[in-house]
Amino acid sequence: MGQPEAQYRQTSDLPARKAKSNFPDRKVIGDGDGREMAVSMPVDAEQAWKDLQRIRVPQERVYDEFERSVSGGRRMTYGTAALMWVFLAGVGMDLPQWGLGVFVTAYVGLLSLLIVMSSRRSRMQLHHTRCPGRMWAAFGAAGVLVGGTIVLADHLTEPLEPIYAGLIQATAAVAVYLLSLRPANRWAADSVRSSGEPAADEGAGR
Amino acid sequence: MSTPAGFDEVIHPATRLSVVALLAATEWADFAFVRDSLSLSDSALSKQLHTLEGAGYLEIQKEGGGRNRRTKVRLTDRGRTAFEGHVAALRAIVDSAGPATGAAQQQPRTEAGR
Repeated sequence: MGQPEAQYRQTSDLPARKAKSNFPDRKVIGDGDGREMAVSMPVDAEQAWKDLQRIRVPQERVYDEFERSVSGGRRMTYGTAALMWVFLAGVGMDLPQWGLGVFVTAYVGLLSLLIVMSSRRSRMQLHHTRCPGRMWAAFGAAGVLVGGTIVLADHLTEPLEPIYAGLIQATAAVAVYLLSLRPANRWAADSVRSSGEPAADEGAGR
Repeated sequence: MSTPAGFDEVIHPATRLSVVALLAATEWADFAFVRDSLSLSDSALSKQLHTLEGAGYLEIQKEGGGRNRRTKVRLTDRGRTAFEGHVAALRAIVDSAGPATGAAQQQPRTEAGR
């Protein structure tokens, strides 16, 4: 970037290049992390390739953390499931308008609180460019599945008393939510990790 | 051999390259997460972060207080652009070497530039 050309030489693992280091007049600058910077020659292909490989490792750590955070939050999963159950069971009880308003407000407030608490605990947030369409599709499909269950349960429990119908709807919806959440999360995490593979294939095919 | 455009000498040292590569995959990351992921000491990471911050490549934000104090690190747009340029430059160097670096070409080329 408008700076002198430089060659970085990793002194520990490139003995062959050490042997070739016959630039007596170059200026060697230590950068404090095990390398020397010799201002005279550009970085060579071998070193450039090693650097490209080095980039993969920290990014894999990010994907590991993302996978852990989407699949490992038991408290969050059961917390949202319990809230959903209470909300759906309450809504199914033919509440008056004001009661419904209170229920919706309380549900949204508690859900927001859970989300804030979960995000405070997280150690990183995946960059938006790393979230492929498949990830959103997974969450969308899970939402459609739960919504569909509520509609279907509502239809099937029509002849029952509202209180029993509400309990059945809530239980069915929460069961579908819990059953679909883990595969959806796993699919989403896999898609984030594998979203870089086309580039890898392109490179391998050269 | 000339250095391709985009080659960034601030990012190039191994530790800083790893730090920037990790941050490039995130909106932000906790200091402790970066430290643990890269197996660095607090002081070593702090030193590299301040160098990158000085170049305008990242922002360091401290939140909370006492035991809840945490430090968030975020790559700036400038840092992200520099990283992408640097990765493109490294790829150009590898590509320019052609079949001579066949072993390198057989390996996955990573999602680094994404």
